[in-house]
Amino acid sequence: MAGAEADSQFKFTGIKKYFNSYTLTGRMNCVLATYGSIALLVLYFKLRSKKNPAVKAS
Amino acid sequence: MNENLFASFITPTMMGLPVVIIIIMLPSMMLTSSNRLLSNRFHTFQQWVVKMITKQMMSIHSPKGQTWCLMLVSLIIFIGSTNLLGLLPHTFTPTTQLSMNLGMAIPLWAGTVFLGFRHKMKSTLAHFLPQGTPIPLIPMLIIIETISLFIQPMALAVRLTANITAGHLLMHLIGGATLVLTSISPPTAMITFIILVLLTILEFAVALIQAYVFTLLVSLYLHDNT
Repeated sequence: MAGAEADSQFKFTGIKKYFNSYTLTGRMNCVLATYGSIALLVLYFKLRSKKNPAVKAS
Repeated sequence: MNENLFASFITPTMMGLPVVIIIIMLPSMMLTSSNRLLSNRFHTFQQWVVKMITKQMMSIHSPKGQTWCLMLVSLIIFIGSTNLLGLLPHTFTPTTQLSMNLGMAIPLWAGTVFLGFRHKMKSTLAHFLPQGTPIPLIPMLIIIETISLFIQPMALAVRLTANITAGHLLMHLIGGATLVLTSISPPTAMITFIILVLLTILEFAVALIQAYVFTLLVSLYLHDNT
């Protein structure tokens, strides 16, 4: 698979250099960022539910 | 009638012991090996089939992918021979069982995925995002691609199960209808019988095609990951 050779034709700057949908590195970083965000969301809701336990019916 | 229709899909037992293991081993017992350079007609034909399959399936692969040659050729011969043997009357077809097909699909698919993550981590991860995706669609497409990855082994197994089971059921139904119509209306029974013959020919083709499709898809997953 032409990875590095195809990537060199794109000249991105700034954050687009690391997060874009054209280069191999950019696509990989986008995928990892999405998975990381989902994991953080799940962790946040899990910890929030532990902090506020369900109110028992009286 | 209802009970008879699905009776052929029940895992056979003999005196309480499952004989399905012997049934699964049957194709390998029928396909012989020889230590001679030039063997008999049957074995020569067998060798020709294996050579044709190897050339057809393995030519697209890299050397790393070609290490799976034995696995893939064995797979297509096993599924093909099992499906063909199942077309004989009163036989049990192991590939109608979802458990068996999942048992083949999941380890093979998982093997290709792990191979991809082990040897081409960057490329495998980048595969989850098609090139040129617009920025607002990126997260959604990554989730969709992940789901489609996990659906692959399910689709492999269910495709084979459904095709073979549906074919067998249809043959059962149309055969039963032909039998019943013989006493009611012989001309209609004749038409139904012709349909049954055509369906049987179709089922022979489906048996081989489904084996080819299963193996081809595993081969494609392997090619993507090597």
